[in-house]
Amino acid sequence: MAVVERIAATRAVTRKRKSRPERGEGRTAFFFLLPSLIGVTLFLVVPIIASVVLSFTNWKLLGQPQFVGFANYIRLFTADPQFWPVVRNTLFFTFEYLVLNIIISLGLAVWISSLKMGQRWFRVIFFLPTFTPGIAVAIVWMLIFAPGGFFDFVMGALSIHLPNLLTDQKLAMQAVIIVSLWAGVGYNTVLFNAALDMVPANYLEAARIDGASAWDRFWKIRLPLISPTLFFGTVMTAITSLQVFDQIYVMTRGGPGSATATLGYSIFQKGFQNFQMGYASSIAWVMFAMIMALTAFQFWLQRKWVHYDN
Amino acid sequence: MKLSLILATAALVGTSAFAMQVQAQDAPVNLTWQMWGDQTDQALWQSLADLVTEQYPNIKVTPQISGWTDYWTRLPVLASSGEIGDIVAMQSMRMPSFYSILEPLDAHFATDSFDVKVFEPSIVSGLSHDGAVYGLPYDVGPWLVFYNRDMFKAAGLAEPAMDWTFDDFKAAADKLTAGGNFGYATQAFDYIAGPVALGAEYFNDANQFDLTNAGYAAAVGKYVDLTAVDKASPVFASGASAVQASGRFASGNAAMYIDGPWSMISAAKGANFEMGIAPLPRGDGPSRFITAGSGFGIAAAGQHKEEAYKALQVLTGPKAAEILASAGRALPGRLAEQHFWYDVAAKDVKGTRETLEYSFEHATPFRLNETWNEFENLMTQYMPLALNGDNTTEGVLADIQSQLP
Repeated sequence: MAVVERIAATRAVTRKRKSRPERGEGRTAFFFLLPSLIGVTLFLVVPIIASVVLSFTNWKLLGQPQFVGFANYIRLFTADPQFWPVVRNTLFFTFEYLVLNIIISLGLAVWISSLKMGQRWFRVIFFLPTFTPGIAVAIVWMLIFAPGGFFDFVMGALSIHLPNLLTDQKLAMQAVIIVSLWAGVGYNTVLFNAALDMVPANYLEAARIDGASAWDRFWKIRLPLISPTLFFGTVMTAITSLQVFDQIYVMTRGGPGSATATLGYSIFQKGFQNFQMGYASSIAWVMFAMIMALTAFQFWLQRKWVHYDN
Repeated sequence: MKLSLILATAALVGTSAFAMQVQAQDAPVNLTWQMWGDQTDQALWQSLADLVTEQYPNIKVTPQISGWTDYWTRLPVLASSGEIGDIVAMQSMRMPSFYSILEPLDAHFATDSFDVKVFEPSIVSGLSHDGAVYGLPYDVGPWLVFYNRDMFKAAGLAEPAMDWTFDDFKAAADKLTAGGNFGYATQAFDYIAGPVALGAEYFNDANQFDLTNAGYAAAVGKYVDLTAVDKASPVFASGASAVQASGRFASGNAAMYIDGPWSMISAAKGANFEMGIAPLPRGDGPSRFITAGSGFGIAAAGQHKEEAYKALQVLTGPKAAEILASAGRALPGRLAEQHFWYDVAAKDVKGTRETLEYSFEHATPFRLNETWNEFENLMTQYMPLALNGDNTTEGVLADIQSQLP
């Protein structure tokens, strides 16, 4: 009994001795983390909470907000003639852009990694648009696609009769997607290219000796081995494409009609042009829910196709 | 001893009270002035701010200039966070959305028996809301037709008369459309100013949007047909701003477009041809034109309203109007100073004085409400569908109407 007590006492002392410096370290760590904590709280947590609260008010930027309950959400889902077309446009953009982006960037990455020389140059060239400001890119492309602009001139010279991209309901979104691809493909290309270079050469060597074709080596060795990177690229691209705004703001302002109106643009239009901050906040939360759902779906799906090599 | 002490104290109190009074009168006051503009305008606005200090040495006005689009995004944010300047620039079309952040000026007018009759009446009403004046104007102007005189001459067309009709306008646009050039370059605001000149109304009697009324739809349809049927104008894209039409006009690709005197000097400078201006074409009835303009108001939340009012009087005073008019920046809202614009800045453009005087004589109140901004944005976004034939004019107007509260 006494032994047990002694052991217990020793343990308590050890715990005490141990916990004192630990507590001190915790405090130090807290102060080291404080600057980021304040930043995150002020610029992330508070605005997020504020936007939840705002979405239940009719705040018009000027004047006092009034609590309106779920009125904004009810209007959004039942009364607003623009909401469902906007959701459809956003999903359409996301789907087409995501698929094309992944295919093109993967194709480019494979091509670059197969080059004997100049790999670095091509990586830089394709990465250039990524660090060009989005608004500047969109303005230049808008001038190219404008009615009577350079694109129309080239099409006319080639005797291809195409309506102007920016004024045609069906083609306007394609113009936005072309610009987004031009600006966004480089990032994934560099990402996938780096992943491809990490695939151990001896695996490919062994497969070649066993007689596997280049096609088989790609589908059965390289692709599964870069699948974690591919997954990361897909998730990030999906998230940014659901938030698309810059290109649309510059090139089409959601038009013609509602052909290119997306959730991101809708939030800006309702909030900062029509001054319906409460309503804009409720759209923002719908967008958040969509991004969450899509990301969760992708994480669920990854179990089927992503291989972690550990 | 006692008496001298009392006297000394009284004298001290007296002098310090006097000193305080003097100080109160001349205490330096710093006013901020919320204004839009680009880099090239900066010196001009600063010279106006300096006029204030010249007249009232204790008042210093500092312009805070932002770009046109950013200005309207920043303004409500500044107002709701209490950071707004003492003097606020305001455009007549945005008054219904923003009058609440401005101080009604009528009480101030009473203090110095100021009469707003020195200004063009249509812009005074443009800067008013519910009968109260909220701003004093620095510029004013109706929408006008800018035309290329050389192209008119080459096509053998007579230049537009003051009371030309829509049929005249259409005939000119059709005839001038040849060899890859257009008779006219359309933009979104044409479907607002144009139909009003034809006698149509976009509002009902309760000042609410009624876009599907037969008169307005027919008038918009007339303008739409110039592009959709006659192909006398290219379709405008919803994303590009007014640059498209003015660019086509300046390059000689379009013979006419609709704009206001605020852009006239830059349009004339960019053109290497002789330029003329004419009133908007009328319908079957008499001519009538809407005008717009901008001015300055006093922030309702400001700390120095009296000083701000003094500064406002200088900024919209005769000297300031002369500076802005001579530089071609603005056709003054002040009637007496308008000749500086006609005789100095606009001397090379044909028909400015006659056209503008005719337009002001036939000015009609510009009807606005608090959702005007939404309406203008929707027009820019949806009108291209009618112009390229994807939808009918009635269909587009019904679509826009359904989205307005």
